[in-house]
Amino acid sequence: MVSPFYLLLVGLGLGFLLGLLGKKFKQFTAPIITLAFGYFTYFSISWIIPFLNSEITETIIYTAGFKPPFAISLAIGMNEIVISLVINLLGFLSSIYLWNRIKNDSVSLGTVLLVLIMTLNLIVFTRDLFNIFVWLEIIAISSAGLILLDKNKLSFSAGFKYLLASSIISSLYLLGVVLIYFTNGTLFLDDLLSNGILTSAMSVSAIFLVLIALIIELKPFPANGWALDIYEGANPAIGALMSGVISTAILFVFYKLLILATPQMFWVFTLIGILTFLFSNLMALVQNNPNRLLGYSSISQIGLTVAILSLKPIIGANTEIIAFGILIAHAFAKTGLFWISGIINGNKLEDWAAVRTRPFLLVLFGVFIFALSAFPPFPSFYAKWELMLALANHGQYFWMLLILLGSMLEAVYLFRWLGIIVKAEIVTEENITLDYIKLSPPIFSALILIIAGYFSVYFMSNTETINYLPLLAVVVLWAIDFLPVWVKNTLLIAAVVIYSYFKLPLLHDFNLIFGIIFMAGAILTLLYGYSVKGKRPGFYPIAAMMYAGLITMVEASTLFSFFFAWEIMTVGSYFLILRGKNSQPHALSYMLFSVGGALLLLAGFTLAHSITGSFSFDAFVMNSTLSPWIFLMITIGFLTKTASLGLHIWLPGAHSEAEADVSPMVSGILLKAGVFGLIILFLRMGHQYIYGIDLMYILSWLGVATAIGGNLMASFQEDMKRLLAYSSVGQLGYILFGLSLMSHLGWLLALSASIMHFMYKTMLFQAIGGVYSRTHERRMYRLGGLIFQMPMTFIVVLIGIIALSGVPPLAGFAGKWISFNAVLQQQYYLQGAAMVIAGAIAFLYLFRLIHAPFLGQLKDNLRHVKEASFWILLPQYIIITLVMAFSAIPGLLLERLGTILIKYFPEGGLTWVNSAISFGARTAISQYGYWNGTYVMIISMGIFIILLLVQWLTQRNNKKVGQFNIVYSGERPSSPETTHFAYNFYAHYNKAIGFLTYPFASMFWNKISNLFHDIANQTRLIYDGNGQSYLIHIMLFFLVSFYILFGGI
Amino acid sequence: MGEKILYAFISVFLTINYGFLLNGLIRKIYARVGRRHGIPFYQMYIDLLKSLALRTNIRHGVMFYLGPVFRFTGGIGLFLFMPVIFGSELFANFSFSGDLLLLLSFQFFGTLGMALGASESGHPNSAIGVTRGLAQMTAVEVPFVMALMAIAVQYQSISLHEIVAAQQGGITNWTLFTNPLAVVAGMLAVLGSFMRPPFDVVLAPQEIPIGPPTEYHSNYMVYLQSNRAIYPLAKSILIMNLFFGGATSFGEMMLKTFLVIMWSVFVGVSFPRFRVEQSIRWFLGIPLIIGVLAIVYVQFFLN
Repeated sequence: MVSPFYLLLVGLGLGFLLGLLGKKFKQFTAPIITLAFGYFTYFSISWIIPFLNSEITETIIYTAGFKPPFAISLAIGMNEIVISLVINLLGFLSSIYLWNRIKNDSVSLGTVLLVLIMTLNLIVFTRDLFNIFVWLEIIAISSAGLILLDKNKLSFSAGFKYLLASSIISSLYLLGVVLIYFTNGTLFLDDLLSNGILTSAMSVSAIFLVLIALIIELKPFPANGWALDIYEGANPAIGALMSGVISTAILFVFYKLLILATPQMFWVFTLIGILTFLFSNLMALVQNNPNRLLGYSSISQIGLTVAILSLKPIIGANTEIIAFGILIAHAFAKTGLFWISGIINGNKLEDWAAVRTRPFLLVLFGVFIFALSAFPPFPSFYAKWELMLALANHGQYFWMLLILLGSMLEAVYLFRWLGIIVKAEIVTEENITLDYIKLSPPIFSALILIIAGYFSVYFMSNTETINYLPLLAVVVLWAIDFLPVWVKNTLLIAAVVIYSYFKLPLLHDFNLIFGIIFMAGAILTLLYGYSVKGKRPGFYPIAAMMYAGLITMVEASTLFSFFFAWEIMTVGSYFLILRGKNSQPHALSYMLFSVGGALLLLAGFTLAHSITGSFSFDAFVMNSTLSPWIFLMITIGFLTKTASLGLHIWLPGAHSEAEADVSPMVSGILLKAGVFGLIILFLRMGHQYIYGIDLMYILSWLGVATAIGGNLMASFQEDMKRLLAYSSVGQLGYILFGLSLMSHLGWLLALSASIMHFMYKTMLFQAIGGVYSRTHERRMYRLGGLIFQMPMTFIVVLIGIIALSGVPPLAGFAGKWISFNAVLQQQYYLQGAAMVIAGAIAFLYLFRLIHAPFLGQLKDNLRHVKEASFWILLPQYIIITLVMAFSAIPGLLLERLGTILIKYFPEGGLTWVNSAISFGARTAISQYGYWNGTYVMIISMGIFIILLLVQWLTQRNNKKVGQFNIVYSGERPSSPETTHFAYNFYAHYNKAIGFLTYPFASMFWNKISNLFHDIANQTRLIYDGNGQSYLIHIMLFFLVSFYILFGGI
Repeated sequence: MGEKILYAFISVFLTINYGFLLNGLIRKIYARVGRRHGIPFYQMYIDLLKSLALRTNIRHGVMFYLGPVFRFTGGIGLFLFMPVIFGSELFANFSFSGDLLLLLSFQFFGTLGMALGASESGHPNSAIGVTRGLAQMTAVEVPFVMALMAIAVQYQSISLHEIVAAQQGGITNWTLFTNPLAVVAGMLAVLGSFMRPPFDVVLAPQEIPIGPPTEYHSNYMVYLQSNRAIYPLAKSILIMNLFFGGATSFGEMMLKTFLVIMWSVFVGVSFPRFRVEQSIRWFLGIPLIIGVLAIVYVQFFLN
């Protein structure tokens, strides 16, 4: 263990030395500084290892040969050393980042940096209040120097405002210190604590002065205009230091002194922290300057950390771990982003689109954004989980709500930015020059975030194991991204096959059903990938990520592991959707609904745990006044993924703008994740009542509305992928309806519909993808007559639409039959009738889907279109085989599902009896009716074949005629375009009931979005750029806080 | 099984001929209402023979060729999945394959197949007819399904056989008297599926050739005409079974189905034609309200 004196020695010694050596030895400055920071880091590591091995506990180091209060003492505990490690590592990385500046500019930059980092270490260790003041002053001076690094108007103005602000802060702090000394006669922290005479009014006021000064140093809302100007005006490298390093140290000092606070102060500081978190995120919504946006984000994260630390009396022992999780993610991610900002040099968010010309930079950016928005596998994810768990356990619902709201706002601007980077037009002509010296610090930051994330699981309050094996595939595929598609595709398919081979036998019941959907779905959708030529950079890691999430989700046994898998899946699917050409706004809306849903899940899960104390899904088995609300939260969380009416607006765009083979992935497969979640929840929570209203009853109507709404909207689409997307909305409505019945037959409907929807939507999206691959056209009226060109695809669509429409003898009828029986059983008559009507409406869009592209008039430009390629057709025909098998022998699927369901719903199932035909033709008998799919198939096929034979025999001289040979009043049609009736197909229907498809949901969400943006725009008017205003803000902030604390509120 | 198939052939043969004659009769009635002399009642047979005798027949493609086959299969299938005469082995058909819901869904088999075939002809009028037909059908379904649901609840069954059995033993046991709201809703709804005014804009037979069969001729036409003989009958047998106590003999069946069809004829000769959006709005108006009332009635008052 290195003594902290060496920090002082090295810092001051080198500082003076560099000054003495002057300009002659300028070229050595950068290596010397970096080496010094390397040594600082070594210092922290030399301490942290014994701490981790529990070889030492907190160590007090005395100075100047006296014990306190006569001399300063330094305390090094686990917390201190973690913070010092963060500071030193980031200092080290900063010095590398600034290497060229240090080398080329004056010597003073290096010296100031060195002194700053040294000071930050010491301010963390010191136990003396006055000593803290001294270090604060040094930090202020050195920061001011650094802010002026770039010589321009903005940085001068920012530096000046900073000096003004820090003079007030110092005055407040000093006043507090003087008063504490006056009342207690000591400034040694441990003495202050042990004397226990801090209760007098003056003492309390003095402590408040000290703490509020530190809080103002941490830039609380609204007294932070000066800080925002620094972030915007100063060099991004300095922004990184301010945000990630200085704030971290000051935050720790605040935490160190927080033990002096009275209980009321904790409350006030929590409020300050959370309001800062909320409002900074709110105002970041309307921010277009990247550095200022990062400033808002920094302030919000620090605000959140202040709040967490101030919640210590409530949260208890876990406080530090939670706060450190957030802080570490913030520090490394934010410095990383500031550093990237320095590489980009753009004043607008759109300028950052250039990042994607350098995929590596893009990956780094993505890592930082996801770390900030608390996604796995980053430490902030674990911290947020633990935070919510702690708040829920202690009934702090109000704080939970505000934190969730703030997190939601944060996600909005972060993902909007990410979307802009991936998709916006690149405006700058010049390429980004990649300077490896400048690039290495963000790389290190990203690595540290990932490593910290990996170890975070060990700090959780409950022992959790995370299955990293599927995630390994992501890393491997990322590493071999330079290989051609067929290699990566084969590897990923092989990985899924092998994994399924070993894991599927371990799954049971619902997990098995959805496991099969996810794994078989993965293979079927990936097969399509062989039709793509080239390398397809970036596709395979994210596809693997989505499937990893889905697969680990069905294996999850605890709330946390489920949530972890859920978030991994969300990230993967978000990027998959984002890959589409015009998908930016849709991917954003998908992500925002997902984040909103995930936050609700987080709240619901943790609240459920707080009531039952269980970390497994048994947490949902509860009987409390809160349980219906928890049920509601989790259900809505899952419904965002199943795109129920009102929460569906992301789906049509996301599914239709995605790439051809991504659409079936996100439609046929991904949507089932929400269904799986609902199953887990409903199975354990069952019927819940709010004011006597059964929530399942409400959900059944929601299912009906979704089915009718989705189908109606699908009927009015001109774009065939959008049509299929809306069709998914409708289909998921059926599934939700089935689940809400909470009976054997209802769930049989939901499960069979899930499986069927997976098959139909996968093959239909693939078929349409095949059409698009040949015609590059999605508007159906521009197609027509493709049955001659693409007969194989036509057959798939034909069987797909017959099956989907529920016309016997194909498998879709099973759903209708079960549904009708189930509603009779459950006495949901009106809903049941409405579901049949929804099924009738489905005919409209299904017919359109086959008529407009495949039938009617072939266009001249499509005469040479060829059939879709083998690899596109193969998965479709595998699915068709299954559909036909399930149609001919429905029991194959339904009986098996029944045996699973009977464990959970023993009453009201189907009885299967053998019938005259021996090959598995069993009649399903319900309480109300009966149905034998095999007979229906044989009889209808029998009639069909007889009639066909008769027709063939009587029409032996039948001739095929040309395209325009039609009854046309003796005229010849002038062109296929004017003869093909396909545009605005259901104009009359639209006229009759089109008003039902008025976009109410979009309008509602737009209104909400506009409301937040308007509030943000109004609120940020307080930042007028005037230093005097900022000083008034600080004083007002101080006075208001003081009044709240002592004014009797 | 062998005799079942034989019975099926017999019952289809008898019914379809009854259907031909009935259609001829209806056309005659229409003519007389319009103060015309009209066709002979056996005109349908002449038409069939004429169509069969056409020397040229063409196709636009596979689906076009199969369209009428689908259509006729749908008609015969709907008939064959239904017990036509209560207690008769001969006319029980293949009703063991499925219940009311099978019938409800199977009627779309022919519709869909025909729509696909007509579309392939490439004639815009065919496609226009199909869109009109599908759009109107979704609206017709609304009150009809409500009525079916009310009946299923009333009898606690969706087996047509059991529904008929429950109505035996006197006219007062008919659904018409035990559940009148459902019958009203159902009878208003079926008007939409008989292709008569005011709901026949799908075919618009008196105007320029329009509607799905625009391009069909020769043998195709035979199938379509034959289907037009059996399909409305199948539908009215369904109505008879659901609402009017079923039939215990072929004669009773003939009478009851005749009256059911005459209901649509009465309305048809009395009213002018609706445009599609008008008929959609109409079905979603009074019939829907009565349908909802029927369900509310059985849910809260009957049991």
